[in-house]
Amino acid sequence: MVLPRELAVTTEIAVDAQGVRKRFGAVEALRGLDLRVRAGEIYGLLGPNGSGKTTFIRCVAGLLRPEAGTLTVLGKAPRAAVSAGSVGYMTQAPALYGELSVDENLRFFAALQSVPDVDKRIEDALRTVDLLDRQRSVVNTLSGGMRTRVSLAATLLHQPRLLLLDEPTVGVDPVLRQEFWAYFRRLASAGTTLLVSSHVMDEASRCDRLGLIRAGVVLAEGSATELISRAGTRDLESAFLALAAAG
Amino acid sequence: MNHHRVRAVAKRIVLGFRRDRRSLGLLFVAPVVVLSLVGAVWGSTTERVPTVVVATDRFNMPAPIVDRLVASTAIHGRRATYDEGVRLLREGAIDAVVSLEGTTLHLLIEGSDPLQSGSIGGAIQKALTDAVAGGNSLLGGPKIEIDQLYGGTDYSILDYLAPVLVAFFAFFFIFLLSAVSFLRERTTGTLERLMATPLRRGELVLGYLAGFSFFALLQAIVILLFTVFILKVHYRGNLATIFIVEAVLVVGAVSLGLLVSAAARNELQAVQFVPIVLLPQVFLSGLLIPVDQLPDYLRPVSAILPLTYANEALRSVMIKGYELADPLVLRDIGVLIAFGLVMAIGAVASIRREVA
Repeated sequence: MVLPRELAVTTEIAVDAQGVRKRFGAVEALRGLDLRVRAGEIYGLLGPNGSGKTTFIRCVAGLLRPEAGTLTVLGKAPRAAVSAGSVGYMTQAPALYGELSVDENLRFFAALQSVPDVDKRIEDALRTVDLLDRQRSVVNTLSGGMRTRVSLAATLLHQPRLLLLDEPTVGVDPVLRQEFWAYFRRLASAGTTLLVSSHVMDEASRCDRLGLIRAGVVLAEGSATELISRAGTRDLESAFLALAAAG
Repeated sequence: MNHHRVRAVAKRIVLGFRRDRRSLGLLFVAPVVVLSLVGAVWGSTTERVPTVVVATDRFNMPAPIVDRLVASTAIHGRRATYDEGVRLLREGAIDAVVSLEGTTLHLLIEGSDPLQSGSIGGAIQKALTDAVAGGNSLLGGPKIEIDQLYGGTDYSILDYLAPVLVAFFAFFFIFLLSAVSFLRERTTGTLERLMATPLRRGELVLGYLAGFSFFALLQAIVILLFTVFILKVHYRGNLATIFIVEAVLVVGAVSLGLLVSAAARNELQAVQFVPIVLLPQVFLSGLLIPVDQLPDYLRPVSAILPLTYANEALRSVMIKGYELADPLVLRDIGVLIAFGLVMAIGAVASIRREVA
């Protein structure tokens, strides 16, 4: 008996990278990177500084063009996916206009993404990052952690299908970090795909799946428990070290 | 091309400067201060009357002529011996010593300032004509009255400089501010963020052009009001034509600023481009020295500078009252548009190189 097509279990792939290479002068940042991010999951890109996490995220955001390999984002070329408004990219440093207020910053980024019903969206985004009371504040007067939160809010306004978060919780206090992850989880449940880079093991364990990345290649891919059992270690950190040594 | 996104970028720039008092001061107060200085220095039409010693021991002319020469209003005449005159000249107390040898009139002047030297010669010549002619005007030949096609007798150097200063301030300040603003986009990472949205590079550059044109036109209004109503500069042209010239000049200035920001790593480096971009235009665009008085080998340089065309167009419009439809004005505007387009395309290309 043949199953109808609709019933066949197909896992949609949000980000499909195969053999992606990117070189900056003498440095080869990505050396044939393969990974697949499934739609609706939180995928953690885990690796030390300089391992190629940010370079890969910038490729996905359409900011860098790989020299070799294929990279599709939501079934399209990266830039096409970004142009369609399907991608949200939160840079590592909170890139905002310091001389503008929080509200002016958010309205500007909303306008670039042609966001409808702006007032409501801004209110929702600010409530999510717990900054509703600072809507009128000039960004230069905010603390580093607050700027990170505004930066996240600016990334959420257009409700992207794929969210690229480059070390999103740097400079965020533990309480708010907890809330951030609860919010990430809610977004994923609602169907948003999240690609999160981190070098903090505690955060990595909250991801559905992880890609351990070092020197521009993925050493291992799987859930935190899978990786730990594969390495035969007690925790993720030692698993990472063991897999890195083996790779 | 999405005009909503272009407008958003332009609005962002305008909002950003609203809280930046120093930049606003640079845009609006600095030109007024500089123009006031220029007005104070060059705004007066009275030329300095030179003090001249007539060397009585070496001036063999009838006494009435010498009397009239000393009394002439063209000079402050004094009598002294030749040696006494030379001594006074060395001390800087007088400007010239006049003596007569045979039929040749000798002027001894200090001579270190060529500009002053020229005006002293002219004044003494005029005094001598008065003296020789005396009461009998026929003796001195026809009397010369100068009528001017443009300007007037009360027309000063400030009237000549004001039109080009409008262009110079616009170009200088807008170039500097756009270079620094765009550099900030690069260094703070907002450019990276912008490029990860549907915003296109062309839209970004257009938004910048629109945002800075707003300030440039506001600045032009401030400068024009100040020069026309406070400094009383003569002005005959159509205000709209002046703004059109200004607007096309600013397109080039903003785009050049964006281009330069691609070559700079920080704000200090961006500022280092100011003398490279501005100084050749001060000397070669006709701002101080008319272009047709430049040496031949500098003419081609002058021909590629945008301010050369803006100066010519603004002088034609403000001093001579040319209309927009005048072929000369249209040609200048055309060249400025071409310059702006080339720079804008260069600016778009410079963004491409950094963000692949």
